[in-house]
Amino acid sequence: MNAEGHPAIADRYDVVIVGAGLAGCALAQALARADQRRRRSILVVDLHRGVSPRFSGEFIHPRGAQVLDDLGFYNRLVAAGAVDVDGFVVTQSGEQDDPVVLDYASIPGERPRGLSVHHKTLVRVMRQTLRDREQVTLLEGWRVVDLLRDGERTCGVVLTGTEGELRIRCDLVVAADGKASTVRKLAGVPDGRQTLGFTAGLEVTGAKLRHPLHANVILGGPGPMLCYPISRDDGQLSFRLTFDLPHALPAKGADLSRYLIDAFLPYLPGPLAESVADALHRHKGPLELAPTFNLPAPPATAPGLALVGDAAGCSHPITASGMTMGLLDAKYLAREARRRADVSADQPWLDDGSLRRYRIEHDRYVPTRQALADSIFEAFRGEGEGARGIRRALFRYWRSGERQRVRSLALLACAERRPRIFLAEYLKTAHHVLASSFAPRHALHFPVSDRLRQVQGAVGLAGTKVGVVAQVAWSQLRPF
Amino acid sequence: MTAGGPLDAALARSQAWCQTWWARLHQPQPWLAEIPDVGPSCEVLLADALFHDLTEVERQGLLAWIRSQQHQDGSWRDAKGEPDVSLTCLGYWARVQAGDDPDAEDLVRALRVIHELGGARQANLSVRLWLAMAGTVEWDWVPSVPSELYLLPEFARLSPARLSPWARQMVTALHLLASGPARIHLYDAAELLLYNRDDAAIPPRLTRPGLAGDLLQAFDTSIRLGRKLPRGVVRRRSLGRARRWIEDAQQAHGGWFSTRPTIYSLMALRVAGVTSDDPRVRSGLDYLRRARGTVEVSASGRVLAQGLTGRPLAKVAGLGVAAGIAGVHERLLAAELTSAGPWQRRADAPIGGWSAEADADAHLDLRTTCTILHALRGTRTPATRASLRRAAEIVLAMQEPDGSFARFERGEATVPLSQLPWRDAEQLNLGGTDDEARVVLTAMVLRELAVLGWRREDDRIAAACAWLERTHARHGHAWSVATLAEVVRATVVQCVADHPLRKACEQQLRTKQREDGSFGDELSTARALLALIAVGDPCAQAQRAARNLVGRVGAIASDGPNLPDTELPGYGLSPRLRDPSAGARAIHAALSSFRREVGQLA
Repeated sequence: MNAEGHPAIADRYDVVIVGAGLAGCALAQALARADQRRRRSILVVDLHRGVSPRFSGEFIHPRGAQVLDDLGFYNRLVAAGAVDVDGFVVTQSGEQDDPVVLDYASIPGERPRGLSVHHKTLVRVMRQTLRDREQVTLLEGWRVVDLLRDGERTCGVVLTGTEGELRIRCDLVVAADGKASTVRKLAGVPDGRQTLGFTAGLEVTGAKLRHPLHANVILGGPGPMLCYPISRDDGQLSFRLTFDLPHALPAKGADLSRYLIDAFLPYLPGPLAESVADALHRHKGPLELAPTFNLPAPPATAPGLALVGDAAGCSHPITASGMTMGLLDAKYLAREARRRADVSADQPWLDDGSLRRYRIEHDRYVPTRQALADSIFEAFRGEGEGARGIRRALFRYWRSGERQRVRSLALLACAERRPRIFLAEYLKTAHHVLASSFAPRHALHFPVSDRLRQVQGAVGLAGTKVGVVAQVAWSQLRPF
Repeated sequence: MTAGGPLDAALARSQAWCQTWWARLHQPQPWLAEIPDVGPSCEVLLADALFHDLTEVERQGLLAWIRSQQHQDGSWRDAKGEPDVSLTCLGYWARVQAGDDPDAEDLVRALRVIHELGGARQANLSVRLWLAMAGTVEWDWVPSVPSELYLLPEFARLSPARLSPWARQMVTALHLLASGPARIHLYDAAELLLYNRDDAAIPPRLTRPGLAGDLLQAFDTSIRLGRKLPRGVVRRRSLGRARRWIEDAQQAHGGWFSTRPTIYSLMALRVAGVTSDDPRVRSGLDYLRRARGTVEVSASGRVLAQGLTGRPLAKVAGLGVAAGIAGVHERLLAAELTSAGPWQRRADAPIGGWSAEADADAHLDLRTTCTILHALRGTRTPATRASLRRAAEIVLAMQEPDGSFARFERGEATVPLSQLPWRDAEQLNLGGTDDEARVVLTAMVLRELAVLGWRREDDRIAAACAWLERTHARHGHAWSVATLAEVVRATVVQCVADHPLRKACEQQLRTKQREDGSFGDELSTARALLALIAVGDPCAQAQRAARNLVGRVGAIASDGPNLPDTELPGYGLSPRLRDPSAGARAIHAALSSFRREVGQLA
């Protein structure tokens, strides 16, 4: 520490991680743990002192929770109010009173519970944990404005803050600064980002839910809603409810609360709707909004640069898999660091070979997750005849047996990535498209032309996914 | 004048009118909130020769209504103000049947009009059916319905189940009446007919001119010949099924789809052997009685007219909210449909939504549903939310393949049988595929769905907007101020500011404003003002319209004023209805919106 209480900043670090959110902190911790001999130095830089004001991911699948446990965060998070979660409950519509329950515990060989935690608590606890690590320097309130280059290779960062400018050299820069990553832009990594819309978030305390320890996905309305616990305080649970909004926001400011009450609340189960209505009435100021993006995974590495977490690809948050992806990125990059733990200190810790191996691994699980998240979001939002057909088919498939639910959840929870399973799930859903689209739920004599239109829409949409399925299969099978 | 200035005074006044209308709807003998032509009243009077149910007061009240609507030239006129041969035949006959002297000057003039218009042979199916039942003409004056159609499965294109709900009831009843055949002792209205040189009545042509029509006429004749053959099991079964259709379609309130289907179905039951004191007949007659109401025909003259339905829920909703009546929301929620209905044959949606009239339990009305959704805005209780959720699903399920929305049942405007070249074939449909009533309904649906969160990102909303755009391109130049105002209000919430449809309709509406700030009568001005307020920026045109409206409201002297009424889409032989409370409701809605969104008059 220097005289002002700020950490002493060196000119050079082995690794500079830009972004002290979940992925950045987890990676810093994982690297620090990989450096058993404590010869390496890691700098973690973040723009915000404290926590980013924008609400972000909070739900972590069991595989991610396992990473947090392995890194020593889990117990601290639970002590700070994090909640163990049991899986997903998906409600097709307000009229349907038998929601589909997808339990983590039913996935063989998988940790039986995930973790859900208020994002601000998560980041606060993780940063606090990092401060105890002697190899890690945490620098808050500094912005990355440029990258230092040595030819094509990235070899450092230029930071600005209230105290001036810093030029820090390093062997590896890691971009963990989220979906709108500055580092990715500065490095010129191609960015095919598409804005999907917005997610409005609301905290609700003491709501009554039939499945309080599950992430409840509620469909039927103009957009999907997701409700999950984010903290436990004296035994009382607080929940986060997210509303999916289109790109052209239907209402802004105070009108947004009224819009949510009119448009979304009718689809929530009665007691929850009451709590949410109450919370919306009591809420002062604008609701928390976060843009949702679809960022097809860009190249996860470049010479001297690695991307992790949302910076390395993100999807709509409906499958709640973004946090788990960030944690898996940290795990696999740290695995490479452990491999090279014994190289001499004057050699790069994570060299080009390490980055290549990290990228191969990353490119195996990210496409599966993105394909699933995109397809599920499309089906859950149900803006087209085809998407609604797929949604009906999904529910029909899930209701057809426990094994079907387990397999789907395993894919969703990033616990399953065998291409044959993915392909089989795709084909089975496509099969149910026909049955569910031909048979109306209420109409006595639903016109054949309408049935055919439904089938055509759903089959057409399923057909467009063949390329995605092939891409996922190839990402798992390719030898390099 | 209240302390709040002319705007507040006008608001208070318009609310008082709404309260007056609310009270009128809830009197022991309620006022009619939707007034049809005299046709249903005439038919009730004619049918009373069979049922003997009308009291003398009722008979005189109905007669007074019929007389009041007779034009100076002796005719009864349609909604466009043209002499209508069918209405004139019915009006003449009902008056003579009730005892009026056929040699009275006005009835002689009426008969002259009938003859000038081609006689009863040119009248609609209803008049010819009455003539056949009275024995004045042969049954070949009405088209014959092949019995076998009733044996077809309901999804078959030619099945009577594919007819619009109004036509389905009428055709089934007609089929049973013709099969009887029915015979009612009525005044012999032979003078309604035109005769040739041999003193034989000139028969009507049942089909349209052309080869297809000729072939169909030959088919009709062959069916009649077939009926002369010994009766087989097929015919017996089909008649039995038609009768079951009639019996199953009676609603809990006693009526069928509306007044005319109820009259004809009751007669069909009688022909089938049901006695007058049967509970089904009694409850049907009670329904007809409840569908009658007071109509003001002059400053002091009040008469009794037969309406098409019982108390309309849409008026209960609109007036109740405008008049600030406590408990109206609970009443609306209690009126939600809770049993399956024929509209679910082709619409894949759960039970819910609202019917056109209170106590009805079978027929969904999307127009009423939209009005009630509007009335329920701002009252989001747990009960309301469940109703809204169901309503949204139902509304979306009622979308037609072309993107527009059906009012009662999907496919109601494109009945396959209506493609045949029958003269009366268009009566099998309910409305046209792109008439203004459908435009207004689609715009209302889009507006209410927007409040419930359904926007253009959804392909169904996009399809509806595209349909509006296409229809505007074809017929938009002829749209009334009311239709344009509805479309503007819908496009404001569903389309971006520079959307061609939104811009075109807004511009078209703005050009209809007159020098004095009005858009025609008070009703048109009120509706246009609502649309101008919805557009967003408080503009000079909205201020001028509001000023004009406030001025006009202040200038109306009486507390129960004759405000301009509006036309509503009806059904079948009464395609247009008058809504006498529309002026009060629209003025109050427009001024309230102006007060809320703009503030004060500039």
